[in-house]
Amino acid sequence: MFAPTQSKNGKAVPILIGVIAFIVLIAAVVFLKGGRFAKLEALPVAQYLEGPTDFLGNEYALKAQIDSQLKWDKAIGRLVAVNVESGRHRLPVFVPAKIEQNLQTGQRYEMHVRVETGGLIYVEALRKY
Amino acid sequence: MWKRYVSISLGLGGSIASVLGQGVATTSPSYVAPAAQPTQIASQVPTGGMLESNTFLEMSDRVFNPNSDSLDFEEGSFNWKGRSFNLADQRAFRARFERFLLSTPSKESAEYAALMREIMDRLSVANSNNDETIQETWQLLFVAGEFDQDGGNSVVVANQVFNAWRIRKESRGTAMSQIELEELRRNQQEVVANRERMIRKLKERRERETSVETRKESAEAEGEGEIAGEAAFRALDLAETEAKLTALEARAAATGLQAKLQFQSQIVAFLTQRRFQHALLLSGFYQLLFKGSHQQLEVNSDELSAFFPNSDLSFTVDTLSYVSREAINDIDTGVEAITVAYNEGRKLVALERMQEIFFLGEYMPELDTISVVARREFLDLYRGMLEARELAEAKDYASVLEQAKKLGAIARDFPESRVIASVESAMSMSDMAVFAASQYRNIGEIDKAREELRNAIEIWPSNPSIRDFQRETTQLATAGSQGERVFDDLMARNDFRGIYERRMELGFGLAADTERKPQLMAVIDQVAKVDMLIAQARELDKQGERYAAWELLETARKIDSDDAPMNRALAELAPRVANFIGAVDKAQKHEANGEYAAALSAYMIAQDIYPASRICRIGIEVSANGLMRALAAENVVD
Repeated sequence: MFAPTQSKNGKAVPILIGVIAFIVLIAAVVFLKGGRFAKLEALPVAQYLEGPTDFLGNEYALKAQIDSQLKWDKAIGRLVAVNVESGRHRLPVFVPAKIEQNLQTGQRYEMHVRVETGGLIYVEALRKY
Repeated sequence: MWKRYVSISLGLGGSIASVLGQGVATTSPSYVAPAAQPTQIASQVPTGGMLESNTFLEMSDRVFNPNSDSLDFEEGSFNWKGRSFNLADQRAFRARFERFLLSTPSKESAEYAALMREIMDRLSVANSNNDETIQETWQLLFVAGEFDQDGGNSVVVANQVFNAWRIRKESRGTAMSQIELEELRRNQQEVVANRERMIRKLKERRERETSVETRKESAEAEGEGEIAGEAAFRALDLAETEAKLTALEARAAATGLQAKLQFQSQIVAFLTQRRFQHALLLSGFYQLLFKGSHQQLEVNSDELSAFFPNSDLSFTVDTLSYVSREAINDIDTGVEAITVAYNEGRKLVALERMQEIFFLGEYMPELDTISVVARREFLDLYRGMLEARELAEAKDYASVLEQAKKLGAIARDFPESRVIASVESAMSMSDMAVFAASQYRNIGEIDKAREELRNAIEIWPSNPSIRDFQRETTQLATAGSQGERVFDDLMARNDFRGIYERRMELGFGLAADTERKPQLMAVIDQVAKVDMLIAQARELDKQGERYAAWELLETARKIDSDDAPMNRALAELAPRVANFIGAVDKAQKHEANGEYAAALSAYMIAQDIYPASRICRIGIEVSANGLMRALAAENVVD
């Protein structure tokens, strides 16, 4: 009488374990992939604008939309103006030539940035979001 | 005065770009581009004042000429339908015309007009014209001659008719004598012929009886001699009678011709004197008194040729009647046209037609139908236009304007606005010439200043600006003597505004100073630019463009940061653009320190406030370039 019931329970458990394992796997992949940005603090834009040099050497995450390209030098890189997602300001950011990625006006990026000499926002890495 | 000059300059469009370059305040174009100044001034002022002056005078000649085009006082003629009448000189015509406009028609005028109409009706070929009715009509001429309007011309007509009648009577007496003499001549011719026949017969008989007759020769020769002597006397009588007859015929012919010539001469005289009614009356009598074959005109051929130019027609009394009747009809029509034009307020047109009709029908009673009120208004208009013309010739523009307004009030068809525009144009040109003279004076071009002043006086002698110019020149001459010291003192204190405000006297005083004059020009140019920027900033601020206004003032501050008016304008504007100023200041500070990234951020903040900012656009460009250079130099890029 119990045999069919046991048989059903015996099949359901492995399936459940498999689903959980899949979810955990996906979460791990996502976590591992965004890990570099996730552990960074967001750039405090308002404070940065008040005193950019106060943030020299710091690294931040910055979510922004490309507004315009100010300068481009093949050997050096690009200087672009971006609209910060968290505020209503525009900021100049420098994307070095080593980041070989097409940057177009209107694209949204999550950036790993570092504040360099003179308050320059230097992009270490970026990805679309 | 300077403000006035500036306002004139601003109205000159393209030529005043340099004036705008100095602002709309009390500036002078001469100080913007000293090198190009003479050309610039020349472009603003007409080539000599004569052009504008002559244009105005031509206009005033046309507009203020109350005379009709038909009246040619230079040629002394009045043309009517291709016929030319002798016109008195203008003064005499004006006197007669004004006397007419001042006169008041009397009751007698109507009575006289009716009487003349009756006489003319009686003479019409439509009526039966026997000797009795002609005599009655003739007697009416003496009645008409009693009227003042007639001037005794009807009596002249009556005398001509009477003279014709008398000559006709004399002609009848001459005809009787002529018949008697012709009878006597016939008798005498018969006697002479008879005597000649007798002599011939005697000669024939003598030839036949030669031998016999030798005895009686002496006796017959004696009888033949008696007959030949009587025949000679009879022949003399006949010759005498024929001579008398010829003389009588010649006298009769001369008398008839004389009557006709006198009549025709008087008709022509009436016509040329514009006594059309009397010409018509005399023509009527002529046609009744003389045969149809005597209608050809045989008098005054030269005068008629002048009266009917370009005509090869042979003139008859009917021709003169036709012209007289046509003139009378034209006068009637003209009077109607004048009345209509007057009632519609077109008094200028009415006045012009009035003169034509007055000259043509000066002696016609129809003119008396024009009312006294209309005559007085015509007189006011006529006198007003003559006065305006004289004022225009004297170039008294203020009075011309006043007079034009008065004339415009009288006659709605008077071109008042054309006169005003022309006068104002002439006044402006004179002002411009004074302005140019001031400019030349201020840069030391005295000869050119004098020439421009002459132009200004030529265009408008009573221009009040000329007096102002002379007063200023006197003041400048006084102040100019201290020019060097004042200029050096102001330059030492960098008081450019002070120099600018004394630019006239300094320009006059330093005209010959090759060292200070260029400095003066440079200072004036600089302050003029600052003034222009201030003026433009104020205008933009009025339009709500406060950030743009601030940018212009910022530009002015870079030219002269100590200029008081500029700093006042900045101070007035600053509170309303504080956020923008703060961002720009911060950006410029970072830019100055070589902190290009920070400068870029600040410029972007400022640009977000005023997207069209020129300062931000340039600042971003400069900072971005600086940043890229720094990145390349410091090899920040890995």
